[in-house]
Formats: sequence, C-alpha cells, structure tokens
Amino acid sequence: MSVVVAQEKKPLIRFDIKKCAFCKICELSCSKYHYKKFGDSISRITIIRKGPLMFKCHICTRCEKRFCITACPTKALSYKGGNIVVDPKLCNSCGDCVKACPFHGIKLHPETKLPIICDLCDGDPSCVKDCPKGALTLVWLPEVRK
Amino acid sequence: MKYSGYKGKVLAINLTTKKTNTIDVTDEFARKYIGGNGFAVRYLFDMVDPRMDAFDVTNVVAMMTGPFQGINLPTAGKYYMATKSPLTNGYFDSVSGGFIGAQIKYAGYDGFLITGKADKPTYLFVEDGKVEFRSAERLWGKLTGETQEMIKEEVGDPDLCVSAIGPAGENLVRYACVITEYRAAGRGGVGAVLGSKKLKAIAVRGSGTNEVADPEAYEAWMQWYKEEAKKVPGIAVGLPTYGTPALVASIGKMLGAMGSYNHQTEFFQNWENISGERLKKEFWDKDTACPACPIACSKVFSAKSGKWKGAISEGPEYETIYSLGSMCGIDDLGAIIKGDSLCDEWGMDTVTYGVMLSFLMEAYEKGLITKENTDGVEFKFGNDDAMIAYIEKTAKREGIGNLMAEGSLRAARIIGGGSERFAIQVKGLEIPGHSARALRGMALGYSTATRGGSHHDPRPTGEYAGASDRKAVEGKAAWVIGTQQMTTIGDSLVNCHFLERLLGFTLTQKWVDMINPVTGFGYTLEELTTVAERILDLERAFNVRTGIRRKDDTLPRRFLEEPIPEGPSQGMYTDEPTLNKMLDDFYALKGWDPKTGVPTREKLVRMGLEDVADCLNKSGISC
Repeated sequence: MSVVVAQEKKPLIRFDIKKCAFCKICELSCSKYHYKKFGDSISRITIIRKGPLMFKCHICTRCEKRFCITACPTKALSYKGGNIVVDPKLCNSCGDCVKACPFHGIKLHPETKLPIICDLCDGDPSCVKDCPKGALTLVWLPEVRK
Repeated sequence: MKYSGYKGKVLAINLTTKKTNTIDVTDEFARKYIGGNGFAVRYLFDMVDPRMDAFDVTNVVAMMTGPFQGINLPTAGKYYMATKSPLTNGYFDSVSGGFIGAQIKYAGYDGFLITGKADKPTYLFVEDGKVEFRSAERLWGKLTGETQEMIKEEVGDPDLCVSAIGPAGENLVRYACVITEYRAAGRGGVGAVLGSKKLKAIAVRGSGTNEVADPEAYEAWMQWYKEEAKKVPGIAVGLPTYGTPALVASIGKMLGAMGSYNHQTEFFQNWENISGERLKKEFWDKDTACPACPIACSKVFSAKSGKWKGAISEGPEYETIYSLGSMCGIDDLGAIIKGDSLCDEWGMDTVTYGVMLSFLMEAYEKGLITKENTDGVEFKFGNDDAMIAYIEKTAKREGIGNLMAEGSLRAARIIGGGSERFAIQVKGLEIPGHSARALRGMALGYSTATRGGSHHDPRPTGEYAGASDRKAVEGKAAWVIGTQQMTTIGDSLVNCHFLERLLGFTLTQKWVDMINPVTGFGYTLEELTTVAERILDLERAFNVRTGIRRKDDTLPRRFLEEPIPEGPSQGMYTDEPTLNKMLDDFYALKGWDPKTGVPTREKLVRMGLEDVADCLNKSGISC
C-alpha cells in the first residue's frame, strides 16, 4: 500500500486521447525546442496510432517505480526537480533504460547515443504550448512514495 | 547544399535488379524545380517514354518530397507521388497526407524513383541509408490497413510509416490508390502502377532531421500564420469543425452545383441527409489531422445506428459524399461511411469508383446494360447494397467489376450506345464534386488540366468565394492559369491547397514570403511564377508526347450541351463556342500553339526548357 510521505508535487504531461488529432506537432515542437531541428527521432514525446480511434502518447510519466534508474548499470540516471536527469559522463549508452521504461518514454539520441527524456522545457513544455487541439496539459500531482 | 529543406539526393530503386543508385540534387535543380511536382515531372520526362503502356516495366513511380517535409510548417505533412497514369495515359500526380514524407527526409533523401518490376511480391524498407527488398508474399491480397499493421509488426516499430496498396492495386484496377495510415494518394491509379511492379508497400524510417534556412524569419512567419489563420473563416472554423463535408450545404444547397444522379441534375433534393452538419451531429467520433497541420479537417465518423451501424472511417470527405452519395442517388451517410472505408481498404479512389458506378446506373436505367451484364443485380440509382458490394468485386475484377475496374471512359467505349456523352470524365479522369457547369473556371480548368477531371489542378475555391465571377468568360483564362500555377507550386513544396484561403488563390507575395525563410531561395514573385509555368509546360510536353492536343482539351458532351436543369444554378453551362473562346485566350496567354495546344519553342526556351523543345522535335512534334 502506498503512503504519501512527501507532499512535493510531481509534474505530469496529461494526454487526452479524445482531443489528440495525431498531427505530431508536439514531436516537432519538442525537437525544435531542444535541438533547433525537426525530427521525431530526437523528440521526447511520441504519438502512436493504432486503428482509427486508438492513440497513445509515449512520454516520461515520472512514475513511482523509476524503472529506468533501477535498470541503469552505471548509475547515470537520477531524479531531480521532477525530471529524470542523465549524467553523460557515467552513461555508457547501453539502452537498458529504454528497454526498462514501460511507458516508452526514453529514446537514445541517434548521434550522441545518450538517453533523451522529457525535461518539461524549463517548466513551460513546448509540446503543451503548441498542441493545436489542447490534448496535452501540464498538471502537478502529489508525489507518492512507499 | 546551399539551400535548406533538401537532403541533396534522390534514390533510384530498381525492382528488377534490386539495386539502388543515388541521383544528386543540385542547388540549380532545386531552385528551378523546387521539389515534389517539379522534381517528379523533370525526372519522369527524362526517364519515361510516354508512348509506352502505363503498366510497362519501363514506367517509373516517383515518390517525392519538397522542402517543407519534416518541418512544422502548417499543412506540410504530406508526400507526393507521380507516374504515367493507367487511367489517363498522361502525366499524373497524387498528393496525400502522411508522415512518410517527413520520414523520407529524415532518412536522408528528397525522394525515390521506383523503376523496373519485381519478380515476386515485394515491399521496400528504407531505414536511413539502407534499402531492403523484403518479401511481400504473405501480404499479397491483404487490405491496406492489415498490410500496414503486418509490416509495422514485422519491423517491430509501431510508429513506422508505411504506404501500401490494396488488392485493387494488385489487380491493376486503373484507379487504384496508395494508402498511408487512413489517407490516400487517391487519384489516377498510382497504386495500380505499383501493383504492376509487384510492389505492395514502402516503409520508411529515418533518424535524421530537416531544418529551415532562416529560423528567425521562419518563426516570424509562423507567428504571422497563427494570427492571420484566425481571421480566415474556412481555416479557423469551417474546416476544423466540419471538415470538407461542410461543402454539401454551400455547394449542394446554396449553389445547387453538386452533381447528382450522374449529373442528370446538380441539385440533390435530400442534401440535408448527407450534410456536414448531420455528419458532425450524428456520426462524429473525433478530429484527425495530417502531420504538422493545426487545422485538423479530417474526422473519424461512424454509424451509431441504422442499416450500416458499426461502419467506421476516417472520412468521408466532401468528394466521397458526392461520388458515393449524390451521384449514386444514395442519401444514407452510414452507407457512404462504409463505402469510404471499403474503398480505402481495398485500395481504390472513391471519386472514380462512385462516378464510374453512377455512369453504369444511368446506362442501366437507359437499358444500355441489363441484368445479364450485371450479375443479376439491379444497378439502379439509390441501390446502396450494390454500391457496397461492388467495391470488393471491382478490386477483384469479378463479374461486371472487371468492367468497372477500367474507369468510365473505357467502359463507355465498351458499352457503346452513345454512353460516352454521359461518362463524366476529362481525359479519362472522372470529374469530382465541383461543377463544370456552374463554375466557368472549372469548365476551362478541367478541359486544360494535366490530369483531366481534377479539382487540384485548377481550383474552384476562388469562384465559390467570389474572387472570380463564376459566370464570367472574359478574364477567365488568366484566372484559371493563376490557380493552376498556385496548385503546381503547392504540389512542389509539398503543402495543402487549403492554404489558398490564406495565401491567395493564385500566386502572391504571401506565397513567396512563406517559401524564402525555409529554403533561402530569395525568390521574387516573378521567378516563382516562372517556376510554376516551367513545371506546367513540362507536364504538357509529357502529355503532348502521348498524343494529347487541343482536341482533347474538352468536356463531356453532357456538360457542353445540357444546361443544369433545376435549382439555384439552373440554366448554367458552357457551350462549345464559349469553351473554344476561353481556350483561345488560354493558349495565347500560355504561349501554346492555338491550333494544336503544343507549347511553342519560344515559350519553352523562355522557361529554360530548350532541351524539351528539342525532344519534342525529335519525336516528330513541331513546336
């Protein structure tokens, strides 16, 4: 059973499947914000479509279990200020974090091979800002710890 | 490359030898032809002998992008396909929404040129610089949705972009399409040419990026777009709320210009039953968009009750409501949704299928064909069961479906009895839901369009909006040329023509201001207009080599001789002398020979196409 031990809030980018139009503008906004280039391989959010009405949003959920941190063999990942942070000096680009994340919220950057994970764009997520349908919203939830 | 938005290479993929080679895209070539339409027509003019059959091994399918693919410019989430059409025998292009255009860029290419013919069913998997010719034997015969899913599974990438043909393409239905997700490169039979090459699908995954030349100017343009788009009712309200079905009320009811019962009338009495308002209220599930498009005019609709309960589709668009609905005398939206999804799944163009069927229904009611020809089915207007059943039969070429797979012009020639007069097509391509009788520009536009009966060569929107008087004859040639230049640039960039409401129905400085920050061309409006004319002249030169002349620039006899019989546009039509006058004006402005419709050498040289003039001369065509 979970018990709230800390009242710190954690961020979540909430996805509204009913509103999402599968335009992928969020992916292009994400890559533009972080790299000043457009490309889905360097986007930290991915929208998947399966069937006419089934859409999924792949992004870091700041989950309780921190599967990625646990999976990392070199302790390159940590949770700071609401984000999973990568220490490039420790990371060996093994990709274990990518495989461990059940939310498909991590990719390896095709060139640097370092994990890329949603960092909320310094608090004002560009995917949320640019979504033309209002399908993405930034919410703050109570941090839950066992 | 000096310019942005390009990867600097096109990949030629030979299905016969299973070899590829890259063709460099030079700065000069990019500036002269832009991309998409411009690139494809130049490559096809150089590579394809237009006198060969479209299904001949020597035909080429171009799958192209323009500088806009892969960036977040509104409506740029598209890709462009072109080939010699098995329906019109001429140069033919088809643009579709789909993230695969962006993926081609991300994989490092500006486009693909598919040549040769595979010995066994094949699909292509392009991943960055690597091309795999994979077996499609277990995919052959599968519907387009299942094909895409099976390839995504085989590759292990649920977000993979796949463009696929259905059984209609495999069976060489002359208007078979290419489907990506739920959107179609619909018209003219590109899917059938892929089928003739035994190419079931193309899957592309790229890990690269695309960039713009001047990020600051680009950002400023994006801000301009956001502000200005809010002021354009069609983009701000109409398309996002209802999608293109909104046109049923404005064209069908207000203008009385929505072809019905195979254009025996253009006022559909039951227009309210098939209206966009009703679709939205009773059938809407959600909005969808082509990639990078904030307008999201596409909708998923499903039938919640009635005879076709459970039918679901992304669509229908206005054109399909016209072709499967008013043209066939069908006013049940459930049936139209069902037909829309089946056409996508089996892989054929909804416009041609519906217009083809309405032609047969008229032939049946006139007694030119009987139950003996139609497998015992009553081909009467309003028979929704026949409309649904014959999608599969056409895709499989079963029974009279074998005739329907040929398109209405070929079918009319087989049926005879004067039926060609009411085959609603130009140059073999069935006319969509924008009236050639109620809009003077479309009469001239369809007659002269490279593709024939296409509303994406000339555009009807400006006449609907009153930017050009729909009844005027004077000045109409210049208007039509202007809209054709605009669509040609749109298809080269490659973006959606719906931007016309914001940037201009003909080329304007606003078009230039959108292009320069992305590419760094520093175009003037004059240079951009020259690029458009160059591309259009090349298309015409391609078609001239297939035998197209002024005599072919015409309309179905019904449109030249029978006025619209009722409704708000009652009495309107363009007779032959009027069309001829507009054609004279048109050729004079184009710099085409008024007797033959062949571009003059002087014009071709002025467009930088001296080699094209030489080529025509070598083929025995004087210009």
